[in-house]
Amino acid sequence: MMARSTGLKFDWTGLLLALLLTLFIALPLLVVATWAFTEIWRYPSVIPQQFGLRFWSQTLARKDVWDALFLSLRLTATVTLLSAIICLPAAYAFARMRFPGRNILFLSFLASHAFPKFGLLVAIAGIFLQLGLISTFWGVVLIQLVGTLMLMIWIPVAAFQNVDRRMEEAARDAGATPLRVFWSITLPQAAPTISAALLLTFVGTFYETEGAWLIGAPEIRTMPVLMISFINNQIVVQYGAVLSVMLWVPSFAALMFARRVIGTGAFARGFGA
Amino acid sequence: MALDAAQPAVAHRAQPLGRGSLYGLLLVGMPVFLVGWLIIFPIFSAIATTVFVRQPDGTAEFSLASYHFFFSDAYSLNNLWLTLWTTFVCGLLLLAIGLPIALYLRFSGSRLAGYVQGLAIFPMFVPSIILSYALIRTIGPNGTVDILLNAMGLPKLPSPYLTPWGPVIGLVWDNLPLTVLMLTAGLTSVSNSSIEAARDVGATPLRVFISIILPRMGNSLLVTASFAVLGIFSAFTLPYVLGPASPEMMGPFMQRTFADMNDPLNALTQAVISFGFCLLFGIFYVWSIARNREGR
Repeated sequence: MMARSTGLKFDWTGLLLALLLTLFIALPLLVVATWAFTEIWRYPSVIPQQFGLRFWSQTLARKDVWDALFLSLRLTATVTLLSAIICLPAAYAFARMRFPGRNILFLSFLASHAFPKFGLLVAIAGIFLQLGLISTFWGVVLIQLVGTLMLMIWIPVAAFQNVDRRMEEAARDAGATPLRVFWSITLPQAAPTISAALLLTFVGTFYETEGAWLIGAPEIRTMPVLMISFINNQIVVQYGAVLSVMLWVPSFAALMFARRVIGTGAFARGFGA
Repeated sequence: MALDAAQPAVAHRAQPLGRGSLYGLLLVGMPVFLVGWLIIFPIFSAIATTVFVRQPDGTAEFSLASYHFFFSDAYSLNNLWLTLWTTFVCGLLLLAIGLPIALYLRFSGSRLAGYVQGLAIFPMFVPSIILSYALIRTIGPNGTVDILLNAMGLPKLPSPYLTPWGPVIGLVWDNLPLTVLMLTAGLTSVSNSSIEAARDVGATPLRVFISIILPRMGNSLLVTASFAVLGIFSAFTLPYVLGPASPEMMGPFMQRTFADMNDPLNALTQAVISFGFCLLFGIFYVWSIARNREGR
């Protein structure tokens, strides 16, 4: 490795990158977190004049926030569940079975990434307009379901492919039925990667803004859509900040659980790297 | 891969009755149907709707009027130009920032590498709407950057918020993780031994980069750039919240035309034009992934 061949020299490149990234990535996030716990912060004071939780209780007292949260959770749970029911058997088939057109059909899931996303959403919205799906719960479910297809097929396919075949063969030789082999050998081995895919799908759908906004407006107001209206109308700065911090909790959970999958490169490969 | 060697055995067992094929097709049927119905069909339908325009009497007539309008309307052209500019600038910036990070992550054994990787990937877990809000409070007028500049006795920042640079900053922030991940994955094809061999004969780091690393990751650079272009060209949330109201990028433009102006025909025309501009990148993206898979 290069670092080894340069001996024990101090890692200046690493330090520079770490500093620049800290500034570029972490600063905006720290600012939001600070605003969420601030009652008064007037320019040009470097730190807020008054910290406090007043805006948390105000934000949590708003009915539109709770409505949006429950709607978002209901939508996200529906989409993730449907996505798992539809995609996981397909992922198993792609990974383990041979059938005509297998490669072409597998690659067809790339289609959602091969077009500019919002253009595609507008094209779908054109169809939904004729079908009366605009501004309905199921319209948003469908649009978000399409967004999850690739992730929920490509990552589980890799999981099923990496299952140790010899263990399956051994179980089968010992007289286990195919279903028993799948349940006791295949699934437990693939489960960690599949649950990471499920989690990423859940979090991705929870934050999905563009489809929900284009297809759902004005009836379906999810959390991110509510956030857009908070930003645009700028009622109270802190509402948006509190909402941001609240919305982050599931994101952090995802970071913790999905770190392993993302680190192995399976995720990048899922996007074709 | 080992599993490819194992696959024929399973296929062989399933094939005699052809039942395996049938089950396989049944299992993949539903998601493939969704891709057909909600991705492929809408695209052809959008093209057909904008070319065969429905007349007041219910008949459809061939007409390119909506395209003619787009390409003769100064406002639409300005929006298209801004979108092309933003896509180009973001693509360049992403490669310029992502490549050094990916190179560092691939070749450094330092303990700082974990921290750098964590930070570079972190934006993936920050939804664009939270990011938009955070950037408004940071680089907006009287935002944190202004506060810090003021504290150091420096003049205020000419805020990029609500200018074309606002979305550029947001989009680079948002797309950095995938750029770094994809480039790092591409760099795994460059072996340590080839680099050490080059260094042993006295090649400078720059020489190693140009002669050894770059030729081997050309494809992955192009895939990364294509992915970024496809994502940025019709981005919506960040340009909508951080960018100027006029001219606007194609994403907000399409949304406004479709929903606010209730004009699906022109919105679909803008969508088809976006597909046209991204067609090459889309084809390249799919083609190179298909080729990579065959190579594996």
